[in-house]
Amino acid sequence: MGITRRLFLISGVTLGGGLAIAAGGIGTYVGIHDRLQHQRTGAVDDEGYLVNLWIRIAPDDTITVLIPHTDMGQGSPTGLAQIVADELDARWDQIRIELAPVDTAYANGKPLEGYVTEMLPVPGWADAFAEKAFFRIADMMNMQMTGGSTAIRFTGWDNMRQAAAVARDMLVRAAAQKLSVEVANLVCSEGVISDPASGRLLTFGNVSAAAAALSPKKDVLPKKPDAYNFIGTSMPREDIPRKVFAQETYGIDADVADMQYAAVSRVPVFGALLDSVSNERDIRARRGVTDVVALDRAVAVVADNPWRAEQAVRAIQFSVRAHANQQVSSASLEQEQRDALAGKLDNGFDIGDVDTAFSNAATTIEAEYFVPYLAHAAMEPLNATVWRQDDKLHVACGVQNPLMARAHVAQVADLPIEEVVMHAHAMGGGFGRRVSFSMTGDVPLNWLSDAVQIALTRDVPVKTTWSREQDMQHDMYRPMVLAQFKGALDSRGIPVAWQSKSFINEANVRAVQSPYSIEHQRVDFAGTHQIVPTGFWRAVEHSQHGFFKESFIDELAQAAGRDPLQFRLSLLGQDSAEARTLKKVAEMAGWRTEVDRRGRSMGCAVVHSFGSTVAQISEVSRGANGVRVHRVWCAVDSGRVINPQAATAQVQGAVHFALSAVLYGKCDIHAGAVKQSNYHDYRMVTLRDAPRVEVALLKSDNPIGGFGEVGVPPLAAAVCNALAVVEDRTRRLPLIG
Amino acid sequence: MISLTLNNELITLDVEPEMPLLWVLREELGLRGTKFGCGIGMCGACTVHMNGQPVRSCSLPVSGAEGQRVTTIEALGSPEAPHPVQTAWINKQVPQCGYCQSGMQMAVASLLASNASPTDKQIDAAITNICRCGTYDRIREAIHQAAKDLA
Repeated sequence: MGITRRLFLISGVTLGGGLAIAAGGIGTYVGIHDRLQHQRTGAVDDEGYLVNLWIRIAPDDTITVLIPHTDMGQGSPTGLAQIVADELDARWDQIRIELAPVDTAYANGKPLEGYVTEMLPVPGWADAFAEKAFFRIADMMNMQMTGGSTAIRFTGWDNMRQAAAVARDMLVRAAAQKLSVEVANLVCSEGVISDPASGRLLTFGNVSAAAAALSPKKDVLPKKPDAYNFIGTSMPREDIPRKVFAQETYGIDADVADMQYAAVSRVPVFGALLDSVSNERDIRARRGVTDVVALDRAVAVVADNPWRAEQAVRAIQFSVRAHANQQVSSASLEQEQRDALAGKLDNGFDIGDVDTAFSNAATTIEAEYFVPYLAHAAMEPLNATVWRQDDKLHVACGVQNPLMARAHVAQVADLPIEEVVMHAHAMGGGFGRRVSFSMTGDVPLNWLSDAVQIALTRDVPVKTTWSREQDMQHDMYRPMVLAQFKGALDSRGIPVAWQSKSFINEANVRAVQSPYSIEHQRVDFAGTHQIVPTGFWRAVEHSQHGFFKESFIDELAQAAGRDPLQFRLSLLGQDSAEARTLKKVAEMAGWRTEVDRRGRSMGCAVVHSFGSTVAQISEVSRGANGVRVHRVWCAVDSGRVINPQAATAQVQGAVHFALSAVLYGKCDIHAGAVKQSNYHDYRMVTLRDAPRVEVALLKSDNPIGGFGEVGVPPLAAAVCNALAVVEDRTRRLPLIG
Repeated sequence: MISLTLNNELITLDVEPEMPLLWVLREELGLRGTKFGCGIGMCGACTVHMNGQPVRSCSLPVSGAEGQRVTTIEALGSPEAPHPVQTAWINKQVPQCGYCQSGMQMAVASLLASNASPTDKQIDAAITNICRCGTYDRIREAIHQAAKDLA
């Protein structure tokens, strides 16, 4: 373990990375802040490599693509390598993929720019971190972030593609010098630069050192799409054989010599403090137990085996100090939200004259929707391994932004950031749980805080693993949201007014905004502090608001007595991504508004999020065993698709992920704590109830869109809209349990 | 002392008889391909074979494996000699995060050993493992593919 000298050198030299910074906004800010420094340092290391921030071309003809995003299953490293291979005109078998070191050089101003502009207003972030005195705003943008479907869109398309094009240009110029011919006379293809006139050839490796001595050009244009070899092709994912043969090392598999294991029992009530432990002596006497550690809000046992530690921590008897949160329940939290919506509201936007439109309307409809708190329940329970080595504190774990996790560790351990070394591992799922910040200012890295605090009390390496129960009861939950809608139709059944009020912690107007052309619209919010820590959950606000707004437009269609799909199309520009995906999905599913002989009905929904538009149709029935979702069809407009099979897998997976929430997902609050504790009472879809999911990726000239999250938002509405064909509409999730 | 045959090797262990097989495998024997997911036998990430049958090792006390033949993902196949399930898993590009896939493949390998050509209904009944990434469409395709390859 430890950062090798070679990686250190790589992170200290760059050319393409610096050039790749786009003009304007936060990207430029971070560029100035960080990358110029690297740009000035030079372009070649002492082993004759041509290197830039993302790409390393070695004399042996291997091309290493350094991936700044940690893997949690999206397959983006392969997609990023495809982009680089294409722009370089390399062969696929030359490409090596390597996780970039946890270093500020790999922080992604540009990805964050996209993230920020699409998901959250910047000031919200600034507040959360300014309070914690973690970072100034520029440093905040300085995250090595995996999330928000940013990897391909921003890191890849905007930065790496440019870096590869610059590197290719340098290789070709170096070859021209070596062969004493004009650049224009050379052909570059499959990792070889050739001079057709003389028949002479040079490989990339032959000229990598010479190329590194040249200065990079600023005006290199990327390839034209008709010349792509890898972009748009379903290349096999590089990580898959490793995972199939169980050779991937997740955080939980980290192995450090002489390591011990900690298990944790946190005080269940949010905010409450540990009082005392009554049976510490008995616990210490158990086989393998080496220590009992009391933290402010948790107690931990350290032992020579994780099971012994877990059994011991479950046997600990501890008392908790009384806390006002013990009075809080799901019902009281929902009432708080309802009260907030009846009080003073913040306006998101206001178009036309909503009040007059309602007073003149032929029909007015009101509806209240509700979604509960949800846990992430990623398969790999939260864990981190912490040890001291060479006067540094080392941490091995899987997180979505290792740079910020490193800063967090430094803060918890009260060390300078430079004294913390982060070893980023693959994640057994993230879905937003393994990020470092939340919209409420709660710290999602709570398990990492525990691990660091526990390890600091010991002089041996300690791996801390939260049980599934701890994971589920101390999550950063998808927010519970109550939303109230009001809509109006004129005498022809055309919607004329749309109004929504929703409880929200940080208003993301784009998630709440409906795509439909309705003359009078008002969107309001109300938010008060609630005790349950909330965070990012796959697709963030789009997952709740996709359900609300796409259910309500269906209610308007029903009230107007119209086909809900045609009704939507009548309110959309015919060339819009929403209209195109709806038409496509209708064709795929054989859209019908009637129940078929088997009792199956269809529902549709369309949501734009993270740069992509996804329309879905679900086919649903209600039988003796409850709701059954048989099939789901998805049509996606995400601009150019880098790897169609990997993209398809993301959308299919997102449907099942969302379906678990629709059918079963809820975390109830009882006496200030989460009631659910494991997969038996927080159920997941398995093969038995997984529908068949078909995905079509539309050919599109739209800007490249994300894939990791975009399949989630339409699903809940598509399912409930289908049920509403045959029974009273469901406005509260989940449907079962 | 507890003895069992692990991946064709006889081993003897000095552990509590109630320690679940999972933790014996991962920590006493260093075989970390078998994963911990829930600890209550619900998710199946810890699935191994005992005498060819799938068992959830997080909920099986090691004493229950005394004298039995246990096989883990490490012995299912290798890049050089993959099990047909593994070949199908790669061809169909099944894994996303991959964490559940050791257990998933073990469950499937056991199903195919007893039923060479399972129907969708039989697959649903036999494979109850959780994949949080939702790779179910490809799991189903890969099972049918592996069944074909085995035939």
